[in-house]
Amino acid sequence: MSRQGQEQPRRGARTHRAGAGGRWRSWGRHHRAMARDSALRLLRHPLSSLLTMLAIAIALVLPAGLWLALDGARLLDAELDESATLTAYLAERVDDGEAGRIEEALAAQQGVADTRLITAAEGMAEFQQSLGLEDALARLPGNPLPASVVVSPVDPSPEAVRRLADELGALNGVEEVRLDLAWLERLRHLAELGQRVTLALVVLFGMGVLLVVGNTIRLAVENRRQEIEVVTLIGATHPFVRRPFLYSGAWYGLGGGILAWGLLTLGGDWLSGPVSALAASYGASFVLPTLGVGGSATLLACSTLLGWLGAWIAVSRHLAQIRPR
Amino acid sequence: MIAFEHVGKRYGGRFEALAHLNFRVGRGEMVFLTGHSGAGKSSLLRLIIRLERPSRGRILVAGHDIDRLHHTQVPFYRRQIGVVFQDHQLLFDRSIYHNVALPLEIQGMELRETSRRVRAALDKVGLLHRERALPIELSGGEQQRVGIARAVVNKPALLLADEPTGNLDPQLSADIMSLFEDFNRIGTTVMVASHDLALIARLRHRTLRLHDGRLVADEEAL
Repeated sequence: MSRQGQEQPRRGARTHRAGAGGRWRSWGRHHRAMARDSALRLLRHPLSSLLTMLAIAIALVLPAGLWLALDGARLLDAELDESATLTAYLAERVDDGEAGRIEEALAAQQGVADTRLITAAEGMAEFQQSLGLEDALARLPGNPLPASVVVSPVDPSPEAVRRLADELGALNGVEEVRLDLAWLERLRHLAELGQRVTLALVVLFGMGVLLVVGNTIRLAVENRRQEIEVVTLIGATHPFVRRPFLYSGAWYGLGGGILAWGLLTLGGDWLSGPVSALAASYGASFVLPTLGVGGSATLLACSTLLGWLGAWIAVSRHLAQIRPR
Repeated sequence: MIAFEHVGKRYGGRFEALAHLNFRVGRGEMVFLTGHSGAGKSSLLRLIIRLERPSRGRILVAGHDIDRLHHTQVPFYRRQIGVVFQDHQLLFDRSIYHNVALPLEIQGMELRETSRRVRAALDKVGLLHRERALPIELSGGEQQRVGIARAVVNKPALLLADEPTGNLDPQLSADIMSLFEDFNRIGTTVMVASHDLALIARLRHRTLRLHDGRLVADEEAL
């Protein structure tokens, strides 16, 4: 009404104008009208709309939550890469002066980023401290521990580290090079498994969202069958007929996305306490990752798109079946 | 305006709804289509608005073979034809104004032009004062007049009506028919399917009579 009021003063000889500009304007107007109309239709049945959105939200929460967990695991992985070090144990006969020279030799090797010498005495002190065995160790006739050099590699990938270990092991005065790659690799495999499981769940639950929206829109199409028949009879194109349903689907998707976002945020808050306590008990600091602005936008965009797509599939399938009597 | 050339229509491969139809309707003519129920009147109209396609022969409307239309062109073809249905097919969830505006909305007409044309069409059928009413608040005759307003709001060159007076009493039927005559007088080609023989006889227009899907009589107005 207000729109018409605004346009009143311009009335005159220019009324009959159906140029391309006017066509685009009316196309945009129809989009706005359908977006509003379909939103109002959803609000007219708040409970059933909410239930549909909740079904979408639940289907989205699982893959999104897993994705977040994976994001956290990847962070952990990065930290592990940094701590992927080798320990070169020197021969027992090597004294501290020679150990210093060997450390320099190790540091000069290609592929070595950093070295730290732990003399036999330092190693003993550390050992006593961490185990609380001062008395027992003090009774030993001599220091049984060799000096060692902790080496940080430039390239933390398992292959490079293994190659470096072989090279360092061949150096004079180095007795043995230890590296604990097995569990690092296990973790990598676990991360890859997690990625694949998440991807599978994303696909499955994405299809779940399509089905939920598709089914809801199918019912809406049935309810408005007469209207579809009439507008088809008087020359409506398929895009025109589809439009309100596509907007409904997009609204369902957006609503579901917002609910999923809320559930993820709540769930994150709920789990963060035990998770950081658990991490602290392992002497690590691990914070549950949150969606952030980019993640939230991606979640909402994906859910809206899925809703739209589900509606598109449902309407197109039924448009072919609806033939005016 | 309309030309049927050896048109036949079979349903399901066996039932022959229409057969060997040959006739022409000139531009600006008013024609009645009559026959017993099941004679094929509705099938014939459905062929013209391309809800069905002929099994045989071809149909020319305004010089175009409508069987050759691509399915994306069909909506634009239908916009040139006004159709009035026996059960008027109004949408009950919106006002009279918005029912009549529907064809213009589909075409994306500007609001001011839409409002001007809708009011003109409603004025023509004598229902301008009911534009805000819902269809359910109107009588059967008034609903049919809204259906006619919706069919003519787009100023179509061809107006088709399928039993437009089927549920109305004789006086209302005569009113509806005189509306069609008015539109015909300003140049619209009108084709009305009806089995109200008494009314048709009184109106004196060309009459096509169908019997079991065949054209058995083509009587010029007396």
